[in-house]
Amino acid sequence: MVRQTTQEVLRLENVTKSFGNVQALNGVSLAVGDGEVVALLGDNGAGKSTLIKAISGLHGVDSGDIYIGGKKAEIRSARDAMNLGIETIHQDSSLAVDLSIARNLFLGREPVRASFLGPLAPLDLAQLKRQASELLKRVGIKKNLDADAPIRALSGGERQSIAISRAMHFFAKIIILDEPTNNLGVEETHGVLNFIREVRDAGHTVIYITHNIHHVFQVADRIVIMRQGTIVADIDAADTDILEVEAIITGADRRELAAEVRRK
Amino acid sequence: MKHSRWRALLRKPETSSFLILCLAVVFFTVANDRFLSPLNVSNLLAFLPELGIIALGMTLLLTAGEFDLSVGAVFAFCPVISMLLVQHAGIDLGTALIVGFALTATIGAANGLFVTKAGISSFLVTLSMLLLVRGCTLFATQGFPLASWSGESILQILLAGSFYVGEVRLHASIIWFAALAALMFYVLNYSKVGNWISAIGSNRSAAVARGVPADAVKIGLFIVTSLLAGLAGIISSLRISSASPVAGDQYELEVIAMVVVGGTALTGGRGTIIGTIIGVFLLRIIRNGIVLVGVPGLAFNIFVGGIILIMLMVHSIVHKRSIRS
Repeated sequence: MVRQTTQEVLRLENVTKSFGNVQALNGVSLAVGDGEVVALLGDNGAGKSTLIKAISGLHGVDSGDIYIGGKKAEIRSARDAMNLGIETIHQDSSLAVDLSIARNLFLGREPVRASFLGPLAPLDLAQLKRQASELLKRVGIKKNLDADAPIRALSGGERQSIAISRAMHFFAKIIILDEPTNNLGVEETHGVLNFIREVRDAGHTVIYITHNIHHVFQVADRIVIMRQGTIVADIDAADTDILEVEAIITGADRRELAAEVRRK
Repeated sequence: MKHSRWRALLRKPETSSFLILCLAVVFFTVANDRFLSPLNVSNLLAFLPELGIIALGMTLLLTAGEFDLSVGAVFAFCPVISMLLVQHAGIDLGTALIVGFALTATIGAANGLFVTKAGISSFLVTLSMLLLVRGCTLFATQGFPLASWSGESILQILLAGSFYVGEVRLHASIIWFAALAALMFYVLNYSKVGNWISAIGSNRSAAVARGVPADAVKIGLFIVTSLLAGLAGIISSLRISSASPVAGDQYELEVIAMVVVGGTALTGGRGTIIGTIIGVFLLRIIRNGIVLVGVPGLAFNIFVGGIILIMLMVHSIVHKRSIRS
């Protein structure tokens, strides 16, 4: 309802990408509006990861256009994507576990003094710590986390929350979550799902990739399903159900699937 | 609060290394009163900074998750090439050193490029480079040591001059080591690139996803490590007035042992310059002390190997404890 009136933040037009003989993306077109939570579903090898990597600058596309906020964008590197307001959180690879929370939060965008020294510039440790503590408080991570504690000391759920709050902190327009609840316990998963709702309420757009269809219905406004490198369905979460989504993902006939479920 | 600060200190890898260093010093002092004699301390401090300078570069490289086996070969290569130029091409020492360091930097760059762009492990790349560089050095000299610089030169004094503090004779290398250690300590712990180095070693793809230029940083570190090994070689050859093509044999293993004994993780992500300084002292003191205590020469390595293993056990236990709590 709100969605129709909001602006479009990301649009893909006819994006293709192949690796050798494998056509990973085959003319993908997709529009995502401001403040939406879009779930991206599909079986292994459907092209989800390739699509996400193209948007987050980890590899280019062969053809097709990407528009951010209505403007055509060239995304050649992770840095380009970040500068355009796109933050990607990979399932377990977005934090350096030996570094402190504060140092992770600002990795790649460290506040420095004497910036003319380039990479050798001294970190502004006071500001780093202060901003990190504020951030931890603001995103409401329940436990009292010390900004100087190494990521290694945190649970999986806490780590994901840190990664997501980092994206929020840098006012990312679009936050992409690549299977954020993989390897998490039940309670931690709920924590992350709650967090996604908070992220949306704070005005960010979320693209959420998962294998767990149940989670999708808890947080997503829209469901986009990929199969063999193309988008085969783009539906409002309110207009569909788990069975239908499952059928589209696997490409099975819906009635057959329902019958099978009934037999069980 | 104070209690927990003590505990945090105890959990640092440097602390256990330091305690063992103190134990070693006390033990050797009690075992042989010549251990702290000015002559022995002078001897110890003449050679120690040369390995120490290489260890500083190796610490940063290990923290970024790579290592360099070619440092021992470069240690011989850089002075040999420089002295060949001086003696056969009639170039003055300053220019010859510049050429020597330029070639040394090229070796580092080649290591870095092969590791990052060709994706070959640093073990294999630098092992090949070790053979290549050592082979070039041996061939260029036909296996004979060269007389090093014997004339007076301001460079000679800057790099290898000596002075007395009390009765202890010190060389310029100790000042180089101290200054470079301070610089590397700053770089690793307080600079932007230091944060990148730890992040790359800890989780490379995370660092890349945050826009950290991981490959450029690694290539830079390979160059720095080579240059430091070259500098140590030059300092050493000027001190002993000889540039030998077989100098620095097996230094790579000694240096890596020093760095990991100090508490830097071989797998990357966690590096400590303080720990490396302690490790350098610890290994040199153990080598020196064992001889003074009267361990037979052939049994010498048994003790060194055993002590390194014990140190690594201690680090592993301390590290596991610190994760659990």
